[in-house]
Amino acid sequence: MNIYAQLFLQFFHIGLFSFGGGYATLPFLYAIAEKYHWYTTNQLTDMLAISSITPGPIGINVATYAGFTTTGILGSLIATISIILPSLIITSFVFKILDKFKANKTVQGAIRALKPAGCALLSAVGIRLLFVSNLHLLGTIILITLIGTSFVRKQDPLVYFVICAIIGLALGRFNLIGV
Amino acid sequence: MNKSCYGIFKTFFKVGVLLLGGGYVILPLLTHELVDKKQWITSDELCEYYALSSSLPGVIAVNTAVLTGSKLLGFKGAFSAICGMILPAFLAIILLASILSKVVELPFVQNIFWGVGIAVIALIFMAIKEMWSKAVVDKFSVAIYIGSLILALSGKVSLAFIITGALIFGIIYQILEDKQKEGKE
Repeated sequence: MNIYAQLFLQFFHIGLFSFGGGYATLPFLYAIAEKYHWYTTNQLTDMLAISSITPGPIGINVATYAGFTTTGILGSLIATISIILPSLIITSFVFKILDKFKANKTVQGAIRALKPAGCALLSAVGIRLLFVSNLHLLGTIILITLIGTSFVRKQDPLVYFVICAIIGLALGRFNLIGV
Repeated sequence: MNKSCYGIFKTFFKVGVLLLGGGYVILPLLTHELVDKKQWITSDELCEYYALSSSLPGVIAVNTAVLTGSKLLGFKGAFSAICGMILPAFLAIILLASILSKVVELPFVQNIFWGVGIAVIALIFMAIKEMWSKAVVDKFSVAIYIGSLILALSGKVSLAFIITGALIFGIIYQILEDKQKEGKE
């Protein structure tokens, strides 16, 4: 299949099937990395960090990036438009029937099931990442500490990135990565 | 500023530029621009749109832009809002993508990304925790969660299939529950 058609189909289907907002697009983005090799899983993790210091939602950022790595600016344009298109169509339609949509029992039943499913997909990504990342002992300690502190007080994502970037830099300096 | 397509585009472009950190800050940003400064919509409407956006497929920021744009100027408004919101993200990545692969090769940058990779996993687990608290509320949602998780981990079925399955189960369960209620009455 034509690369442009593939980009369109893959990112359109993310826009259509990712539920739960925020990181809900991630499971699909990881699935694409494994299947199509437009970017690697490591590149995707790097992109997540880069996305936190560039404007815009992560789903859009990765769509643009994946498009660019395959076929340059035209690819970026196609991938980005494709991930937005389902939102534009579905959400515009929902807006027209807003009150009916909110009152509809079938819709509410569907949403009630879609939210835990979206959460499960992200959980699967989290679990897989634990196994494929080379955290070793020090990385695992840092990870547990970070998650632990979030129970006390949640910080802006950027704070975690900056702290971890400094830790990575320091540990690398003393050759402690991989310990 | 009046509610022209250009006005909406410009306002959402500004929000798009300030939208750092992956969409978490969209609600306060939109409140500042649309409610406090322009008084285009009320705070209640915006909160409702935001909540609704997270129940619809796709990127929340984009869905919120569509709902707000539709409210202001119909489909034209929605289109202008999306374009404004997305353009800064698009341009930033286009500019970065060309130099990114070279920068990442540097050893000290790789060390930084090793650390950042840990933050990413931590943030994913924090996001899971937050989604869990909103989504997994009763026996039915626990069942859907466990079923979806097993299928997703097996890697044998597509994610779209899992989501569609959950959708169908949700609708069937709702119908059964309604029937049961009717039977009692």
